[in-house]
Amino acid sequence: MASLSTTSLSFKAPSTRISQVLRKGSSFQSVTFGRFTSSTSKSLRLQISCAAKAETVQKVSDIVKEQLALTADTPLTAESKFTALGADSLDTVEIVMALEEKFNISVEESDAQNITTIQEAADLIEDLVQKKPAA
Amino acid sequence: MQRSLSMGLTSLLPLKLPSRMETHLWYIRPDEVKCASLLKHYSQLLSPTEKDRVLQMRGDELKKNALLARTLVRTTIARYQTNSEVDPRSLMFKKNKYGKPEVDWQNYNNCNNPPLHFNISHTDSLIACGVTVHVPVGIDVENKERKIKHDVLAFAERFYSADEVKFLSTILDPEVQRKEFIKLWTLKEAYVKALGKGFSAAPFNTFTIQSKVGTEGCYNLCKTSEMTISSLEKTEKCYEEWRFALLELADSHYGAICTEDDQAGGGGPMRVIIRKTIPFVEDELISESKLL
Repeated sequence: MASLSTTSLSFKAPSTRISQVLRKGSSFQSVTFGRFTSSTSKSLRLQISCAAKAETVQKVSDIVKEQLALTADTPLTAESKFTALGADSLDTVEIVMALEEKFNISVEESDAQNITTIQEAADLIEDLVQKKPAA
Repeated sequence: MQRSLSMGLTSLLPLKLPSRMETHLWYIRPDEVKCASLLKHYSQLLSPTEKDRVLQMRGDELKKNALLARTLVRTTIARYQTNSEVDPRSLMFKKNKYGKPEVDWQNYNNCNNPPLHFNISHTDSLIACGVTVHVPVGIDVENKERKIKHDVLAFAERFYSADEVKFLSTILDPEVQRKEFIKLWTLKEAYVKALGKGFSAAPFNTFTIQSKVGTEGCYNLCKTSEMTISSLEKTEKCYEEWRFALLELADSHYGAICTEDDQAGGGGPMRVIIRKTIPFVEDELISESKLL
């Protein structure tokens, strides 16, 4: 198969900022999540929910890898867009169904369609899990 | 199939516009495009934004397919120009307010632009582009052998309409059921894409697409009325203005096409002209129509 590296396109190295979180699992460095840095009132909640998010991101990544049949060496970060990983709309819906099953949540179709990255999926899951009435 | 490019690539051959009642469907098979210098030529047609998006795809195969998709769109549209030759590189695209891509004609003389509509869909082994004039078009292609990870009926119950679930549950053979599920998926996707207002404008469970009784390959779009509150009062309205075609492509894929019937075309079933292409190399007319 022709490789594109010989063409006039130049390759940018993919962002590795969040990938360290995924590989190290439990150890959590000072990684900033773009959505939270602007809101200082959320900083307390940030400390508690960040650790959970790493685990959630990992679980979401595993589900995405399985649904899209990605090889182990496919570079995958929290910012990875589903479409960049080769997901079409049917894949996205299957991913959402798998997430619903895994986390025991129910995702509105409009929310489902707005998920484009692993991070967004993890954020939505955290939101929905928190909103669930206590058992 | 390898072609020697030492003599240079042919320039793009112009195309006659589709008539009002026609959809032109073009497709590329990525596994037939292997030549490195041809791919390099394609990459030179793309805008900087498109090149960035190609590079964001993870893995060479996905990058190649993304490149082929943009090449298919640019070269196909460029060939339909009614006046002088158009450089596919010069085409500009924009999105409607819901995110549906369309051609941006701002650089061209307004009077001579054909009112072209297009829509693309891709799977890993086939990339397709549908073209119409005057009316919006939506297409979706899926590999016939695509495996659904979830139970098909559970999936349908979650996302499809009640009538569609009923239809699928009457199919006893799981393989046939899976295929019908996929056909329905392509038809529903094609409708939402033709509508061009995003998925929230037409959630899958609010409309039903079914075979027209007594016809071969004709489908109806029916919606449950959104105005009623009580389920006892739900009325089904069938929308004649949306036409569907379901095809088999390259023996490996289902392709669904949805267009708006603006009545000026005189009604009647959609006529589809299917062509396989390798831009700058060759076109192959597949058939006039091969409806399922």
